[in-house]
Amino acid sequence: MGASLPPKEANLFKLIVKSYESKQYKKGLKAADAILKKFPDHGETLSMKGLTLNCMDRKSEAYDLVRLGLKNDLKSHVCWHVYGLLYRSDREYREAIKCYRNALRIDPDNIEILRDLSLLQAQMRDLTGFVETRQQLLSLKPNHRMNWIGFAVAHHLNSNCSKAVEILEAYEGTLEDDYPPDNERCEHGEMLLYKISLLEECSSLERALEELHKKESKIVDKLSLKEQEVSLLVKLGRLEEGAELYKALLSINPDNYRYCEGLQRCVGLYSENGLSSSDTDQLDALYKSLGQQYTWSSAVKRIPLDFLQGNKFREAADNYIRPLLTKGVPSLFSDLSPLYDHPGKADILEKLILELENSLRISGGYPGRSEKEPPSTLMWTLFLLAQHYDRRGQYDVALSKIDEAIKHTPTVIDLYSVKSRILKHAGDLAAAATLADEARCMDLADRYINSECVKRMLQADQVVLAEKTALLFTKDGDQHNNLHDMQCMWYELASGESYFRQGDLGRALKKFLAVEKHYADITEDQFDFHSYCLRKMTLRAYVEMLKFQDRLHSHAYFRKAAAGAIRCYIKLFDSPPKSTAEEDDEMSKLPSSQRKKMRQKQKKAEARAKKEAEVRNEESSASGVSKLGKRHVKPVDPDPNGEKLLQVEDPLLEATKYLKLLQKHSPDSLETHLLSFEVNMRKKKILLALQAVKQLLRLDAESADSHRCLVRFFHKVGTMTSPVTDAEKLVWSVLEAERPLISQLREKSLTEANMIFFEKHEDSLMHRAAVAEMLSVLEPNKKLEAVKLIEDSTNNPAPINGALGPVNEWKLKDCIAVHKLLVAVLNDPDAALRWKLRCAQYFPCSTYFEGKCSSAASNSVHAQIAKNPENGGASHSDGGEIADFVESNGKMEAFKDLNI
Amino acid sequence: MVCVRKATMDDLLAMQACNLLCLPENYQMKYYFYHILSWPHLLYVAEDYNGRIVGYVLAKMEEESNECHGHITSLAVLRTHRKLGLATKLMKAAQTAMEQVFGAEYVSLHVRKSNRAAFNLYTETLGYKIHDVEAKYYADGEDAYDMRKQLKGKQSHHHGHHHHHHGGGCCSADARPVEAPPESKSEAKAST
Repeated sequence: MGASLPPKEANLFKLIVKSYESKQYKKGLKAADAILKKFPDHGETLSMKGLTLNCMDRKSEAYDLVRLGLKNDLKSHVCWHVYGLLYRSDREYREAIKCYRNALRIDPDNIEILRDLSLLQAQMRDLTGFVETRQQLLSLKPNHRMNWIGFAVAHHLNSNCSKAVEILEAYEGTLEDDYPPDNERCEHGEMLLYKISLLEECSSLERALEELHKKESKIVDKLSLKEQEVSLLVKLGRLEEGAELYKALLSINPDNYRYCEGLQRCVGLYSENGLSSSDTDQLDALYKSLGQQYTWSSAVKRIPLDFLQGNKFREAADNYIRPLLTKGVPSLFSDLSPLYDHPGKADILEKLILELENSLRISGGYPGRSEKEPPSTLMWTLFLLAQHYDRRGQYDVALSKIDEAIKHTPTVIDLYSVKSRILKHAGDLAAAATLADEARCMDLADRYINSECVKRMLQADQVVLAEKTALLFTKDGDQHNNLHDMQCMWYELASGESYFRQGDLGRALKKFLAVEKHYADITEDQFDFHSYCLRKMTLRAYVEMLKFQDRLHSHAYFRKAAAGAIRCYIKLFDSPPKSTAEEDDEMSKLPSSQRKKMRQKQKKAEARAKKEAEVRNEESSASGVSKLGKRHVKPVDPDPNGEKLLQVEDPLLEATKYLKLLQKHSPDSLETHLLSFEVNMRKKKILLALQAVKQLLRLDAESADSHRCLVRFFHKVGTMTSPVTDAEKLVWSVLEAERPLISQLREKSLTEANMIFFEKHEDSLMHRAAVAEMLSVLEPNKKLEAVKLIEDSTNNPAPINGALGPVNEWKLKDCIAVHKLLVAVLNDPDAALRWKLRCAQYFPCSTYFEGKCSSAASNSVHAQIAKNPENGGASHSDGGEIADFVESNGKMEAFKDLNI
Repeated sequence: MVCVRKATMDDLLAMQACNLLCLPENYQMKYYFYHILSWPHLLYVAEDYNGRIVGYVLAKMEEESNECHGHITSLAVLRTHRKLGLATKLMKAAQTAMEQVFGAEYVSLHVRKSNRAAFNLYTETLGYKIHDVEAKYYADGEDAYDMRKQLKGKQSHHHGHHHHHHGGGCCSADARPVEAPPESKSEAKAST
């Protein structure tokens, strides 16, 4: 390094490197300039100066200098290494790897470069390359612990567990008998646990257990040791020992459900699909004895409710619920809610809780008890009942219960939160937001109720107010960015969804892409840990982290963000934003006075934005320089409203980027393939659209959305002109070969297939709607018939034995979707109106249908609270164009108005 | 009702979400990675019956000081899941691990002066004592109590395996600078 320089300059060069490593960039820069004064063409100095500038956020200069340096000294491994580091800093890993490789061609045994290369290989999961590099590092420096460990981990990642074990044992062979010294015990213990887990992974169970017992005294983490041991015992079929060990683990932590489950497995009382009644009795006995042993454990009290049935369930539930109501545990309902999926249990619970309520009202105590309960018990019972009826869809009963609870004790915040949730389910989003705000104001220091309120405001499309409210808890400097910097994804998603509903695609995209960016950052986060964990020896956690990263993009938030972005791009494709010329044209239609006002307003806003941006830029660059070129100088967002995002040349190309991630990471989500269908139909990629249809049929052939796509696809190809080019002929032949393979269509016309689907799902509103829609696509002259199909649907009572009146099957969300279908696709305003009036009966709180109790009806109770001027945002009552994405679980309501 | 267990990688995103819902002091994902990849034994979560993370404790070991001790970086329980004793269970689990794995002498934490509920939990239920007051510790200018709890029973932390050692080594002074996470390692400021 710094070769070919005289001694004084060579020393200066060393100083540059040192300054770079210690982040004293100004000092390094000075040294570089001193050398360049005498040797202006010195390649390595130019390169290092570039690298230093890169850390001072002078990117383009950095690249120029580094490239110039390299040009001046192509034979220098330093120049190539620096070029690689520069690329690495911009996450251009493939380019960086190429540079490192060039550097290593010149200096093959350079440990630093090899190490840097190995980090990139780990990051990029170039696992064979990683193994090679780690091997080289080990042979160059076998006395470094880290090189042994790195080599072993590389083999493990490359799916060669037994080789990894061999390496670790070879490493152990280099250690003294009394190893480790006190200050290495943790690391060494971690290494041993890692080795044992490797043995388990390659099914050397006996050896793993043997090793575990042999090294027990050297493993500091006794809890992991026990968990590892029990896992091995179970796999070896040594269930009695396993059961004993699980009991020991339960006495350490009786609240760990996994220990309970493990114990059940060991004693042969575990099954995914229910147990025989004698097994149930045994299990009941087991939990009773555990309950006596671990009185503090909530797990052993709750779990029996899952497997007990009938009267035994009733009795256990009664015993379980009473003390929790007395204590006033707010999460009781959420704790019981999984039981609602067990047949019959919700009915038992309803009767049970009503009995408690009744008894509390009459005697002030529980049935069969002479002791009086505190007054709060009745309030918590009403609270529980309200949530029960909410879950059942009996919103009127739910509201009357919660109102009574509020009247009983007006100071309990949880009551307002629950009432807000009921109103949301009942379809009055504005009133729900108002109530959440009321709850928030009862304890301004509690961020949780603030967050809940913000969520409700966003659901009610009150974005500005929501943002203002959220900012009450972000106190650092530039406030809005704080939510973004802290990766507050739920907020960004909810806000993006609201903007989307309101048709503000720019802002919506902005939010969705922000979430996507967080995921890219999280992927990036792993980089520093490739070397860190090898030193820290937290190898089990490290490998887990890598696996986690590999499936990161299957996480729900990412899925929502990607789907949201794709929907924006599809809309953008279907109705491109107006060019300025068109806008001017529209403005010219306005009366001149108004036009003038609008122009002035626009200009003012632009000027203000510009000024703000300048001020902020100045501030940030000032503080940036003062801190020695510290990074993270936040440049001002040049496109805060996402207007530039709308200018994208090819929206479908952008959509495809995110679609590919969904296809790779969420291949089993219906939504992925619905979006793929929409995108590829628009791109006229027939075979890819066919792929999507086939995936949909694979996942759920009975879904209304799958049916829609199937019919639309074959209808579309049926209307295409016969093939001309070779490519078209090829596509054609594939279609001809594929169609008979689809069982729904075998020897049937599309109309027949549609009718068969109808007969199969006659009783389901959403399926009838899909059939009706397809009928109108296939035979546009049969629109009336299609409308009739929908209007003839009946809202049957759901099969539950509710004590307080029947519950109907239809869901509000579905009814809204059907209304949108009538308006936008079937174009039948009369039918839409009839539908609206009908649904207003079913959902009296719904603002969408202007039900009589909703805040959309001027004389309702909720109208008054929702008329709070602050909350004057749009409720969902403004009709058919706004797609309902609140519960976007793969349904295609959003595309009702986006026909191909 | 709620399962209390060691956190896994898959819990981290939910822990971050829980933190953002409940507390004013927030961290980027990298800081959570840093914790779990340094002290995987010290992170615990409370998972409700629907599989939702409703509380967590994020803790670390202070490695630079000469007296080996643990520190609670952040503790949160959703408001909807109060009255179940979750905060206590989470704290005890983390404290036990600090003591058993790392041989911590004591555990420290910061709490807002105004946060009476948390203060009561720490003093009355968990036995913390005020060690110091840090003026303007929080971004909004509020003071923090610097609280400590002595961890006892160090001798018995090997479940009968007699072995001479003075706590784990991860805590001992190792002068090497901690490399990760280099940029985003903002100092911890939260605990309920």
